[in-house]
Amino acid sequence: MTSSIFMHPATMFIVGALLLPLFKKFNAQKIWLVVVPLLAFIQIKYLPASFGCVEWLGFKMQFGRVDQLTMVFLHVFTLMALIGSIFGLHVKESGQHAAAWLYVAGSLGTTLAGDYLVVFIFWELMAFASVFLVWYRKRKRSIEAGYRYLLVHTFGGLVLLGGIFLRYLNLDGDLSFVAITPDTATLADYLIMIGFMLNAAVPPIHAWLPDAYPEATVTGAVFMCAFTTKTAVYVLARGFAGFETLAIMGAIMTLYGVGYAVIENDARRILAYHIVSQVGYMVCGVGIGTEMAINGACAHAYAHILYKALLFMGVGSVLEMTGRSKLSELGGLYKYMPLSMIFTVIGGIAISGFPLTSGFISKSMIIAAAGADHQLILMLMLSLAAVGTFLSVGIKLPYFIWFGPNDCGLKPKEAYWNMQVGMFMAAFMCIFLGVYPDYLYDMLPYVVNYHPYNSYHLTETFHLLGFTGLGFYIMVKYLKPHDVSNLDLDWFYRRGAGWFMWLARKPISATNEWVSNVYQTVGLRFTMALARALSWFDWEGIDWALDGSARGFVKGGEQVRQFQTGKLQQYIGGAVVLLFLVLIVVVLI
Amino acid sequence: MIVKFLTYLRERPNMMKWLFMAYLAFALVFDFFADRHHGHFWGDNIIGFWAFFGLIGCLALIVFCKGLSHVWLERGTDHYDK
Repeated sequence: MTSSIFMHPATMFIVGALLLPLFKKFNAQKIWLVVVPLLAFIQIKYLPASFGCVEWLGFKMQFGRVDQLTMVFLHVFTLMALIGSIFGLHVKESGQHAAAWLYVAGSLGTTLAGDYLVVFIFWELMAFASVFLVWYRKRKRSIEAGYRYLLVHTFGGLVLLGGIFLRYLNLDGDLSFVAITPDTATLADYLIMIGFMLNAAVPPIHAWLPDAYPEATVTGAVFMCAFTTKTAVYVLARGFAGFETLAIMGAIMTLYGVGYAVIENDARRILAYHIVSQVGYMVCGVGIGTEMAINGACAHAYAHILYKALLFMGVGSVLEMTGRSKLSELGGLYKYMPLSMIFTVIGGIAISGFPLTSGFISKSMIIAAAGADHQLILMLMLSLAAVGTFLSVGIKLPYFIWFGPNDCGLKPKEAYWNMQVGMFMAAFMCIFLGVYPDYLYDMLPYVVNYHPYNSYHLTETFHLLGFTGLGFYIMVKYLKPHDVSNLDLDWFYRRGAGWFMWLARKPISATNEWVSNVYQTVGLRFTMALARALSWFDWEGIDWALDGSARGFVKGGEQVRQFQTGKLQQYIGGAVVLLFLVLIVVVLI
Repeated sequence: MIVKFLTYLRERPNMMKWLFMAYLAFALVFDFFADRHHGHFWGDNIIGFWAFFGLIGCLALIVFCKGLSHVWLERGTDHYDK
């Protein structure tokens, strides 16, 4: 790798992240924040088909494998990293940017990985780096949500690792990351699939997403909404295309997510639930598995990253400027933040699939693929989810933030210039792709024989959107948001953890106390006497013989203790940095 | 300028209502002239099918989800803190 001019995109972001504090010191952080993603975005075109093959501890690892499928995702991931970094330029903390970039690096590394071991390494980097984007919000709720997020992803990672180990046994050491056919899939493959599905937020293992994303920082949420789930879509498309389970689960996801989006109150929670719905389209497309469906899943991932990030940027701007994100506390802001309003509405109509926006040319491809595959029920489920999308994110969200029956009385300033530039870039792409779909279609893994702009698709869209609007108009009073949130399946582990803690505090702790009382009165005296005798012998007898080394050791231990702060965040951060220093060395050499 | 225009529109809800109705009428008329060779199933051949689907689907989603929320899922935002 050192012999050629390119660099692994993940390495660029890792090195970029490590150098951030340096650039901050010289007041050049903002420049660096634009330069690195821009270079990465330009550079992906020059990546060779295969690179970074190393042998390490007897494993053959491949850090770079580039084909059409990889390319779509690389393109949108690096573009999104650029947009997100520009959106976050005003954030001064280098740590937050570094976490975002390590997270991007994890996502790019997974996308480029040619074998499961490399997938797993970068997969874990994604989880560990992204949790800092939640923690950096620094509220009690964010800290708690971050820990839950980390625990769930650790669980998912372990399932994935279990699958990888089993696969290693089954295939006699072959860990290459290639497509698996449903007929030959074994337990190992299904474990891997479950690990991937957890990151794709497939119910019932989806609740981490609407739990953590609304608690992330403003810029953190913009990054998070783009990478974790879409990387999962990529790995599913790479390994598990054509699994019928995925088609069915995907269709269920679309409705599950949109159902919650209709009833939630917090704008970022609505958008988070709506990710579940949108990723459902992609998972369904992957599950159908025809060329058109895979194309549709990739196209939709590309379009979705941009408009969902745009929506998160829009409501993030409102949160940044007003400190509020609940619909019940907002309203009438169009007078004060008109530009943010326009950008968010563009995101809203794009996600709803208005003609001339990116949703129109991508979502319909999956629905049409379901139709062409004679999956009538799936097709109707996806269409119903499209109705719910327009209802919840296309109308409800912008209406209650920017217009609404009540004026919230706030007079915020317009978002910072860099936020507007970020939103403009994403909004531009939403419309550009809608007007010129071939830009996206030419990147897709298979040849595209689909023309979105036919009169039938247009009339179908006119009707679906128009009459959904009528439905909203009729029911608008009933949809008025209240300050509540809704139970979801995270109830099991949130309440379950509570019960576990109760068990630990009450019965177990009581037993423990009783035992230690007995020990203290009976055992301790005896043990202490014995220990004193032994200690005297050790200190006076043996240690003098060994040149006082024990005394030196005690002193050294005192010094080491000061490094140990007891904060888990710092340990994890340190471990990740160390791991990647090792990795960089391995890859570069 | 945009703010003024939007305020102008907001002060005229009746005009907006009629414009919206006009759009719906246009959509229905447009359906008569659409080329139906791309249809996937019987519903695609019925004029106004997707209008019906959109309206009923939207109402059903609202009633079902809001109803479920009211009778079962709805909790205070500090529910897990207690």
